[in-house]
Amino acid sequence: MQLARALLLERNDVVLIDNDAERVRSASDQLDCTVLEANGNNLESLEAAGIASADALVTLTADDEINMVTCSLVDAVYPRIQKIARVRNYAYYTAADVARRRAKSVLPASRPLYGIDNMLNPEVEAADAISAALEHGAIGSVIELDADFGITTLSIGEGSPLVGKPLSKLHELEGWHYLVAFVESADGTTSLPNGQFTLAVGDQVGLVSRLSEIPQLGAYTKTPQEKLRRVVVFGADRVGALLLARQQEKRHVSLWRRLFGRSAPDAYQKLVVVDRDPERCREAVERFPDVRVLCGDVTDEALLSEENIFSFDLLVAASGNHELNLVTAAYLKSRGVKKTIALTANSSYGDIARKLGVDVAVPMRGTVVDSIRGRLRGGRVEAVHSVCNRRFEIVEGYVSPKSRVVGKKLQDVMDMGAFLVLLYRPADGKSYEMPRGGTVLEADAHVVLITPAGDTRLVARFCGKE
Amino acid sequence: MAFSILRILTYVLGLVGTSLLLPLGVALWKGETAVVSAFLVPMLAGWGVAVAFWLFARRRPRVFDVQHAFGTVGGIWIAICLFGALPLYYSGSFASFTDAAFESVSGFTTTGASVLSDIEGLPVSVNLWRCETHWLGGLGVIALAVALIPLLGIGGFRLIKAETTGPDKAKLTSLIANTAKTLWFIYLALTAVQALLLWNAGLGAVDALAHAFSTMGTGGFSTRNASVGAFGLPAVEWICTFFMLLATVNFTLYYRLLTGRFGDVARDSELRTLVALVFCSVVCVTAVQFTSWDALGGTLRSSAFQVASIISTTGFMTDDYLAWRPAAQVVIFMLFFVGGSSGSTAGGVKVIRWTILGKQLRNEVHHILHPHEVFTLSINGCPGRGAFVPVVASFVFVYMLLVLLTTFAGALAGLDVFTAFTGALSMVGNIGPAFGQLGPTSNYGALAAPLKWFYMFAMLAGRLEIYTLLILIGRTCFLRRSS
Repeated sequence: MQLARALLLERNDVVLIDNDAERVRSASDQLDCTVLEANGNNLESLEAAGIASADALVTLTADDEINMVTCSLVDAVYPRIQKIARVRNYAYYTAADVARRRAKSVLPASRPLYGIDNMLNPEVEAADAISAALEHGAIGSVIELDADFGITTLSIGEGSPLVGKPLSKLHELEGWHYLVAFVESADGTTSLPNGQFTLAVGDQVGLVSRLSEIPQLGAYTKTPQEKLRRVVVFGADRVGALLLARQQEKRHVSLWRRLFGRSAPDAYQKLVVVDRDPERCREAVERFPDVRVLCGDVTDEALLSEENIFSFDLLVAASGNHELNLVTAAYLKSRGVKKTIALTANSSYGDIARKLGVDVAVPMRGTVVDSIRGRLRGGRVEAVHSVCNRRFEIVEGYVSPKSRVVGKKLQDVMDMGAFLVLLYRPADGKSYEMPRGGTVLEADAHVVLITPAGDTRLVARFCGKE
Repeated sequence: MAFSILRILTYVLGLVGTSLLLPLGVALWKGETAVVSAFLVPMLAGWGVAVAFWLFARRRPRVFDVQHAFGTVGGIWIAICLFGALPLYYSGSFASFTDAAFESVSGFTTTGASVLSDIEGLPVSVNLWRCETHWLGGLGVIALAVALIPLLGIGGFRLIKAETTGPDKAKLTSLIANTAKTLWFIYLALTAVQALLLWNAGLGAVDALAHAFSTMGTGGFSTRNASVGAFGLPAVEWICTFFMLLATVNFTLYYRLLTGRFGDVARDSELRTLVALVFCSVVCVTAVQFTSWDALGGTLRSSAFQVASIISTTGFMTDDYLAWRPAAQVVIFMLFFVGGSSGSTAGGVKVIRWTILGKQLRNEVHHILHPHEVFTLSINGCPGRGAFVPVVASFVFVYMLLVLLTTFAGALAGLDVFTAFTGALSMVGNIGPAFGQLGPTSNYGALAAPLKWFYMFAMLAGRLEIYTLLILIGRTCFLRRSS
């Protein structure tokens, strides 16, 4: 539903197929699209829905096998259609990835496994998002744009030097060389700020910076920064286990690098995971030998006191119960845990999380929807990230050679308040740079834009038609 | 079923009979004509039995189950020990068949406890046969039979499992015969290398071969009354120390080394514990025995040799540890409880079992402090091996029970309590020397005949890790099945 809504907002022609009568009725009432009650893995039903003329097929049922078989079925008859499948089983997901890479090296022209162009795993996407936030100190949610740059969402605190200053004057602050991408005021209004915009305490700002400089942003926004030495993860199921796996990978640093090189700060973190399911705990303790596993209820005060959880630097609430994640994060934050990250059901929980004092909320569905939208956007769009409760989107893509902006200066194509070009990398460039008004837009250059959500016209101006 | 058991038994007797060719050849070479028949007759008898049974039962089906595997292995080991005693007895070197049987059991089980006081008075060929029994029993005669006789293929793994030491028994290759061949090839190669090194270091050919047999089998029989110390050659002592330790390591690790799986070897919990134990013990004994910086080299050599000798359950000696300072004796005494690695030729409880129990103990203590924390038991880098704990615990219980029973038997026969206890540890752990009246410079000849037979049982039980012999004695194998 959420994906269909986002695609409709972008003026796509969407046909939704479901075999559950109640869900079909609900979708028909809410969405302005064709909704069919049928089995998606039946080719005749799909043809009746118009698969022959479709550009893409997205299979999102709860059953991995049905998603994969449906794509395979369509691929056998309509190989040109782009196929995206949600695959929650991590073994299938990684196996397909390995098969794709091996097949490419042996037979470059081979079809992808089951004809699936993109496999999406919501848990992997969520774990990656949490891992990114954790790596950068959990001071705010981080969108990594490449190996160097990212956009961090931070809250302006009391005493921030940014307060009351027009954005055009911020460069006067010592060491300030960042870009304010978007602002979400405390009253809920959002905007793409111009030079005259002034920030106030409580505003949420999206700051473009190098990833290595993210910890320094907190000094400007007065966001408390903590060294995250002791981390407790609540929930050892899918997302929790994937997150632990990511952290374990970072810990595998050679002795030489530990002694003489620069290693990730995460390599020294002490990790504790809490889960109430004994079987999951057993699996976790066997899979992650460096992690302490506690079996019990995270709401059990005795357990929290015995293990001194309240003194931890960070809580990552990543269980399958998204509401409990929020409550747990808010409670432990109030009891002394310095930073909290909560996995939530969707991006609409972002406001609630912020009001509850949760530092970072990672929406489960939002990451998948963004991922699919990035792949379906067409043109030369590479990825799409929603921000500000889906009111804006950050689009990564290439300048189309046919675009009318090619050869023009940025100041000539800019429409202040309507969109911003955040980062620019020339076609032959190696890394991003923050563009200036005089930057000339080249064909095939890599750009990062922020636009109002669903404004495909603006994106098409840069990256070509959909 | 009886045909299957008898078939294996006769084939193994034929194989052990064939191994008499070596001492027979040495007897002929050295002109020891008086003992030629002592080797020739049992050898022909072994061959005769094997060929006769092969002709009689070669078309019979080969059926085998777990219960029979244990019973068969127990039966075979008793048979080969008695068979191996025949050349010793008929050589005229032993006063009674009991003594010859004790020497043979001590040889095949790699214990190395001798009833003889004048070993140097024995014919060279008889001495070589004593040491060869160590080598045959070290890695297991049944494993050798499975490697060499393709007819034993079916059920071979069950037989080898019943004979191999340690709680975790796995195949290296898909075919058990190939696994057995690989292990025996490694064993043979190490023995050959050691024999060549000893020969190069100044030992005669027969002495070098005999001591290589004894070392690699972790037995302890020597061709000299004063054991390895009689040669007075430091190089020989260091070579024996090194190879005793090599023989204490799980042989499957050598296969992994040969196949380039170095990570597996580095992660091996048992090897790591063994290395730590040996290092700490050598340092402790050397420190306690330290007299002067000038004598440090000799003290270190003597300490390392004796530590290697006891932890590997070999029982060689270069020095009488009963003359050592008490603290050094206590270190040696503690090593009596340890034993070598599983899958090696060494006896004892085995390092891996203590490692498992130690890890479990650490988990228990942590669990008291952190009642909500979940723990796992990792062995060789593999977590979730907690299922081994009850298996190991029950083994250690039965092992200690047998030690106490053997101590009681020794005390009944008139030994003092400490001698009886260390003697029992030595017998069940297949070590050889003990403390008190059965120290490294003494022998078992003066013991009463009934105690010798009980010690034979203890040695066999220790070599086959108790269960095999218990099953045989408990008659669960034969009588219950036939009733």
